[in-house]
Amino acid sequence: MLESLSALLPDLQPVADALGLLPLDCLHPVFMRQALLAVLLLAPMTAALGVSVVTFRMAFFSDAIGHSAFAGVALGLLFSLDPLFTMPAFGVLVGLCIMAVRRGSLLSADTSIGIVFSAVVAFGLAVVSRTPGMSRNMAQFLYGDILTVTSAELGFLALLALGLLLFVLIGFNRLLLIALHPVMARAQGVRVALWQYAFAALLSLVAMMAVRAVGVLLVTALLIVPAATARHLARTAGGMFWWAQAVALFSGIAGLLLSAQSWLGTASGATIILVACACFLLSTLLARRQGHRRA
Amino acid sequence: MPTSLPSDVAVRLRGLTVRRNGLTILRDIDADVPRGGSTVVIGPNGAGKSTLLLCITGELACEGSITFPAFDRPPRMAYVPQHVQLDAGLPLTVLEFLALGGQRRPLWLGIAAAARERAIRHLEIVQAAHLLQRRMGDLSGGEQRRVLLASALARRPHLLLLDEPAAGVDASGERLFWKVLTAARQEQGFTQIMVSHNLSLTAHYADQVLCLNGSLMRAGAPHAALTAPTLRALFGVPIHLYPEQCEEPDETCAQCGAHCHSAEAPACPSPDAAPPSSPTR
Repeated sequence: MLESLSALLPDLQPVADALGLLPLDCLHPVFMRQALLAVLLLAPMTAALGVSVVTFRMAFFSDAIGHSAFAGVALGLLFSLDPLFTMPAFGVLVGLCIMAVRRGSLLSADTSIGIVFSAVVAFGLAVVSRTPGMSRNMAQFLYGDILTVTSAELGFLALLALGLLLFVLIGFNRLLLIALHPVMARAQGVRVALWQYAFAALLSLVAMMAVRAVGVLLVTALLIVPAATARHLARTAGGMFWWAQAVALFSGIAGLLLSAQSWLGTASGATIILVACACFLLSTLLARRQGHRRA
Repeated sequence: MPTSLPSDVAVRLRGLTVRRNGLTILRDIDADVPRGGSTVVIGPNGAGKSTLLLCITGELACEGSITFPAFDRPPRMAYVPQHVQLDAGLPLTVLEFLALGGQRRPLWLGIAAAARERAIRHLEIVQAAHLLQRRMGDLSGGEQRRVLLASALARRPHLLLLDEPAAGVDASGERLFWKVLTAARQEQGFTQIMVSHNLSLTAHYADQVLCLNGSLMRAGAPHAALTAPTLRALFGVPIHLYPEQCEEPDETCAQCGAHCHSAEAPACPSPDAAPPSSPTR
């Protein structure tokens, strides 16, 4: 069934091949072109959702989703299903569960998320520890490896990017209104629960794809660092969206290309995050300077 | 208690009861909110005032019924909270905030000309047009409340719900808020239900007062509802809002020194006037 689903995904190999026309030696290998295309598809998505994650104060939420990748992969291996299917499916389930607990519980958001977070991580570790040799398979999800992205994953990323574009076109204003005051949003006719669940589901899917790129440990950074940098640089909420896009794309491309240089030779995911963090540091200094000027 | 004709009733509450976690927050509320009027809900902390507003918005489930007899379909509502969850780092401008609910185009594709014009027009109504390009996080409490009101007015609501919208604002800011709200209501004709702790401004500006403390203790015009016995029952302390209702037996109040039984005392305590008629606890 999974194979027939894969056949429905768009073939982006010609686009990846076209990237090889760029005058960069490091793009000669096919896996590098595919990785660059993955970055070009993934970075705008994490930036777009990251803006809402920062506004909703949901960094811990995305961290919990990222860590649920363990359990998703473990489930796949346990039931002999493709982990690349069980991981996002389980991630979406966890995301919806957290949102349901958050909306329905009197506990604070971080406590609710912490409980689900602990449960899924413990479950994943329990399954992994029970099966000999499985921990080796987990390493790629712990650290991520965008260089091993497949054509099918690129196709899925392209579809996801299209869906997300539609989502932020229709939902950006509504999500911001909900973040400011859910009751006010509801009174203005916004279907608060629907948008919150849709946001949680999409965020979970994107977080799972980001796990493939940068690993469980760094997935939150990919979501929030560009958005936090954009807050320092933008003068308007609309501008913040574009700054986040610029920072995410710059970090993604620069990080990937830098990691491919023989004199550096670092993991691509970690390098992408380091470049993003350098941007954040620079933006903090700029914001302070502007703050002093204003004062 | 309800006296209005059905067509004049914007909101009708019948047997409204709210229970949460085993506690009864509101009990058997029957009230009519007149169309186009200014209804103010008063009561001590924990009286269920905000809960009542949340029930009307549909945010909270309740027993009993809430109907809108004056409207063929559910009325267009707007809600003004005490404050929004803003952190100082969010670069959301006043113009963007007002455009949020008023344009379909996402903010990152810019502000539509019509939304901009609408924002300016409604900021002028609340005397805050100069704030258009300011960041929401940089506004003072009073400025932010007026921007929230402008955002609500921009929806051209049939029913405007306000939950202590001027709490924490200084006296002149609060007075200005009530003044622009009343002017806007008279111009747009919406029905207003507001939670407030300011009794003197309530007495001056409200058409109807709902005195709430878990159950509805009294409802009616300010002079009839805000009586000394009702206020004592509500808040547990002596408050005489109207001079002729002072419970002190002497001509001069022992607490504030006001000449409560003065024949010249105005029937309605104007906020412009200095105290003899100011609330005394």
